[in-house]
Amino acid sequence: MTILRSRTAAPVLNPRRRRRLRPVDVAQRSVGYVLIVLLALFCLVPFAWVVLSAVDADAGATVQIPAFSFDNFIRFFTASGTPLLLINSLVIAISSTVLNLVLGIAGGYALSRFAFPGRRFFMFGILLIRVIPAPATIIALYLIMVNLGLANTLHGLIIVQAVSGLPVTLWLMKGTVDAVPVELEEAAWTDGNTRLQAVRRIVLPLIGPGLGAAAMLMFMGSWGDFLTPLVMLQNQDLYPLAIGLFRAFSERNVIDWGLLAASAVIYVLPPAVLYMLVRKHLLKSSLGGALKG
Amino acid sequence: MTTLVDVPASAQTATRPSAPRRRRGQTWPFVLILLGPSAVLILVFIVLPAVYGLWLSLTNTQLTGFAARDPKFVGLDNYTYLLTSADFLNSLGQTGTFLLFSAIIGQTVLGMVAAILLSRPWIHGKGFFGAAVLMPMVVPEVVASLTWASVLATSPEGTLNRLLNIFGGEPTAWLQTAPMMAIILVNIWRGLAFAMIMFQAALEDVPAELIEAARVDGAKAVQVFRHVTLPLIRGPVFLYLLLTTISTVGVFGLVYFLTRGGPGGQTRIAAIYIYERALQFSQIGIGSAASIILLVIVLVLGAVYVRLAKVEV
Repeated sequence: MTILRSRTAAPVLNPRRRRRLRPVDVAQRSVGYVLIVLLALFCLVPFAWVVLSAVDADAGATVQIPAFSFDNFIRFFTASGTPLLLINSLVIAISSTVLNLVLGIAGGYALSRFAFPGRRFFMFGILLIRVIPAPATIIALYLIMVNLGLANTLHGLIIVQAVSGLPVTLWLMKGTVDAVPVELEEAAWTDGNTRLQAVRRIVLPLIGPGLGAAAMLMFMGSWGDFLTPLVMLQNQDLYPLAIGLFRAFSERNVIDWGLLAASAVIYVLPPAVLYMLVRKHLLKSSLGGALKG
Repeated sequence: MTTLVDVPASAQTATRPSAPRRRRGQTWPFVLILLGPSAVLILVFIVLPAVYGLWLSLTNTQLTGFAARDPKFVGLDNYTYLLTSADFLNSLGQTGTFLLFSAIIGQTVLGMVAAILLSRPWIHGKGFFGAAVLMPMVVPEVVASLTWASVLATSPEGTLNRLLNIFGGEPTAWLQTAPMMAIILVNIWRGLAFAMIMFQAALEDVPAELIEAARVDGAKAVQVFRHVTLPLIRGPVFLYLLLTTISTVGVFGLVYFLTRGGPGGQTRIAAIYIYERALQFSQIGIGSAASIILLVIVLVLGAVYVRLAKVEV
């Protein structure tokens, strides 16, 4: 309806405008373009520095034409300590994502397929949790971790991060499983599958897009987290990249801008790669026609 | 094994797609096994810290030293200390300034401008501009901070100083002379994209006929926005204000990386105050009380937004 009407309305108004823009329009559009270009510059200029300085042999704090070399990257991978930061980051983010997804799929399936008293309460309860800003609970959380003997360990950090992403994952997975018709599962049961087999053969292959989105969110959340590892980890050998970069920036008298920029580029790459991998998955809708016929 | 028993029961209700439908007797074991671990973990690592924090705020718990062994219940002492402490009140004031100028004004206005411009049919390169605005949001906090550390760098080499130099400005140590302005700018930069996305979605839902009708009646673009568009997207705007308030109060890394709360405590926003008190001065009790106060403020602000979003047109 609306499309039809605006289409018929457009030709009446447009020919006059198309031929010659009024001066007011020209002015408006120029201002618009200036604004959007300024905004884009505002957003991009800081990144220009990272990219250019990462490959600059004598990088400083400024945006300049680089004396091109991969020296900074080589130093990142050969320096003692820095490769470990990357490994720690990968271990933490991958483990917490896997843990988060396993819990999230199981919980989301239960929330979607079973009606039990307290289900709505649980769903809204975990949604409300998101209102609490992280710094407001970090201290008590730290003491709890100390008491559980989980402070200053990688697995402790992994559990905390996986759980902090769980409310979002549970909501996402519930919605995703909701979209898979129960009839498909029932068909599998009648064909002699157990409940678990039906989930593995029918549900899991069909929740790819939701799973990809949840994985992406969780991985990026864990990968970028700064506060939790800063509070939880004291042992330098356990530091992820976020903390390593921070220490390298704040605890040296002479800041090594080139190395920092290269580290930043390396730090940004894994989520970017993951996004590329998951993106195709996210767009694919695999449920079309499952119930037809 | 349950399969054979289930089928007839579920087949009867098969007309309702995807509705939860298991017989009660079988529900609980499944739910406990599947959802139980998540529920327990959420309880221990999210709910318990909040409750435990409330308890800690009523004690004189220390991280190290004498009181660490034997914390005592001190009632509301921590709260009276905090609410009469100039340091803490300053910190709350700074949090307010930071929130007001970076999130409520900066991100909202610029995000709206970006969303409106990108909804104009005559703007070319929407994909590019959209991606450019999105970049600051998707990079990790530490990278975002690092890029700005270089832009704002003290030496005359810093990008901002170089830019200003073109127009004849003097090199300035931005993070020393105008630290609050600097972190506000950085937080606007980082949160702009989220505002833009929220407002783009809201603007798409505004019926084009209404805009067109107002235009035909002779309303100027600004008037159309003020009297037609804005009232229609009121809900999403307040939802955004709620979300950005929560996340801005929770901002820690961005500011800590750039200023560490300095110089002279000028950017010691509440999150940093809590961190310093509890983990650097090891005064867990006072840090926890500050956390609870912060939490209460967020909840009150949230309630205010929810009210404002509903009342009036």
